[in-house]
Amino acid sequence: MAAIEVDGLVKSHKGFEAVGGVSFTVGEGEVFALLGRNGAGKTTTVEVLAGFQRADAGTVRVLGLDPVKDRAQVRGRTGIMLQEAGFFPDLTVAQTVDAWRDFVSAPRPRGEALELAGLTAKAGTKVRQLSGGEKRRLDLALAVLNRPDVLFLDEPTTGMDPEARQRTWEVVRDLARRGTTVLLTTHYLEEAQRLASDMAVMDSGRIVASGGMAETLAARAGRVAFELPDGVSPGGLPVPVASVEGRTAVCRVADPDLAAQALLGWAGERGLRLRGLEVRTATLEDLFLDLAAGEGALAKAEAP
Amino acid sequence: MSVRDLAVVTRFGGRLYWRDKVALSTSVALSLGLGIGMPLLMDRLGQGDPEFLVGTHVGVLVMILTIATFNQIAVTFTARRDQLLLKRMRATGLGDREILGGEIGNLVVQTTLLAAVVSVALYALTGLPVPRNPLLYLAAVVAGTAVLCLLGTAFTAAVPRTEVAGVMAMPFFLLAGVASGGFGPLLELLPGWVGAVLGLLPTEAVADLARTAYAADGSLAGDLRAAAVPVLVLAGWAAFGLLATARWFRWEPRRS
Repeated sequence: MAAIEVDGLVKSHKGFEAVGGVSFTVGEGEVFALLGRNGAGKTTTVEVLAGFQRADAGTVRVLGLDPVKDRAQVRGRTGIMLQEAGFFPDLTVAQTVDAWRDFVSAPRPRGEALELAGLTAKAGTKVRQLSGGEKRRLDLALAVLNRPDVLFLDEPTTGMDPEARQRTWEVVRDLARRGTTVLLTTHYLEEAQRLASDMAVMDSGRIVASGGMAETLAARAGRVAFELPDGVSPGGLPVPVASVEGRTAVCRVADPDLAAQALLGWAGERGLRLRGLEVRTATLEDLFLDLAAGEGALAKAEAP
Repeated sequence: MSVRDLAVVTRFGGRLYWRDKVALSTSVALSLGLGIGMPLLMDRLGQGDPEFLVGTHVGVLVMILTIATFNQIAVTFTARRDQLLLKRMRATGLGDREILGGEIGNLVVQTTLLAAVVSVALYALTGLPVPRNPLLYLAAVVAGTAVLCLLGTAFTAAVPRTEVAGVMAMPFFLLAGVASGGFGPLLELLPGWVGAVLGLLPTEAVADLARTAYAADGSLAGDLRAAAVPVLVLAGWAAFGLLATARWFRWEPRRS
């Protein structure tokens, strides 16, 4: 059974259509990333899924239940990390977790929740003294307090330092391994690529690309970049150059390994060196740039 | 409605209340100062006539009840709404009724305690008599504070942002004071219809019930008859508060 089903979701705010007919499903235990720029409709989608807003049209099911009508049941089995929500500033981290333990059924012990979010050392600190990243971690601790079957993470690592971000990713991976379904929205493409097995890209309230992460990226062009040797013009290379950024030539090719071999062979024959050579398969960033450039390559990115 | 969750939120609200030393000292000091100070002053000025004392005491009491419930909950819920704390509480398994009802329960308990401290202090320090029907007095305070909390909750829908919540709630405190005589016999200076209209305020229903409870003569049957109209008024306000909350209460700040 799908843990999350969205079919033809439409949601407007005062005449502005924030989400215009979005459909996707997330299987049990999957990590699904919802990507897009600010204002693409990601947060509205999550808020409808979490039962904070009612869909104008379409159906939304979480664990087979209606998030608005069956809110109590859905909330009991889901965890939500909201993009922005306040804390009681004069409570300490431990007091906040203790209070929230009273608000959910069958909560994790306080120590476990703090450990999981990496906040054990901050237990006695007042919330008002936490940094932005630490508050996000407290948010995570509260979101997983009830050992949810489905976890909604809206921009979970915004404001975190790299170490906290890595730790959060580890937590999400661990929860997913234990069967938790995760729906994640993020600005960080690397985050989505590392965590999610499936994804959808939203733009202006619509899904413009979706599918399995690996398949989608495999279908995209890879990237080979290097410093253009002196006296060589882009036209003289054995591989077509997509762009030149400063001294760096960038090639977009289906098989970047093969292109790199051809380039190295060509350079070797001429006694040239390709400084700063970078070879990589497509990343989400490439997909984003392609979508932004409106290359009409969307069909390629769409899942079968 | 889950009684357990209601109790959990009430207890949580109580903890926050007792932790907040600044709010605690100012609100409690103000309430005690006003609630005890005014009748004490009247008593010391030699106007020790028990009936007059009861009038002053009840008049001032409904004013502090208004501040401690209607004004307090309007500010609390507006602030929690705007800081997205209500939203965060909604993200747990708590139901909407428990989140609001729990805080209302908290303020009813705090304010009833406050009224008890004020009353007992006056019995000890002045010639104010103990109510003839203490149960009716207690019921008036508890029901009155609950209704005022409900109305304050509904009122937040009209408050655009936290900074103005206190000021916007202030006229209701003033009206309560004018109607109850807490500011002195102002009604005597105003046209009769003003008194008749203000008599419909929930605070006046509480004051009527309290005066009945304090009245030197009376019987249980007489008290019940005298309580009928104020109870109906309170029930009407409670129904209005519930409907208005269900219809207009906002859990999040306006987006635009």
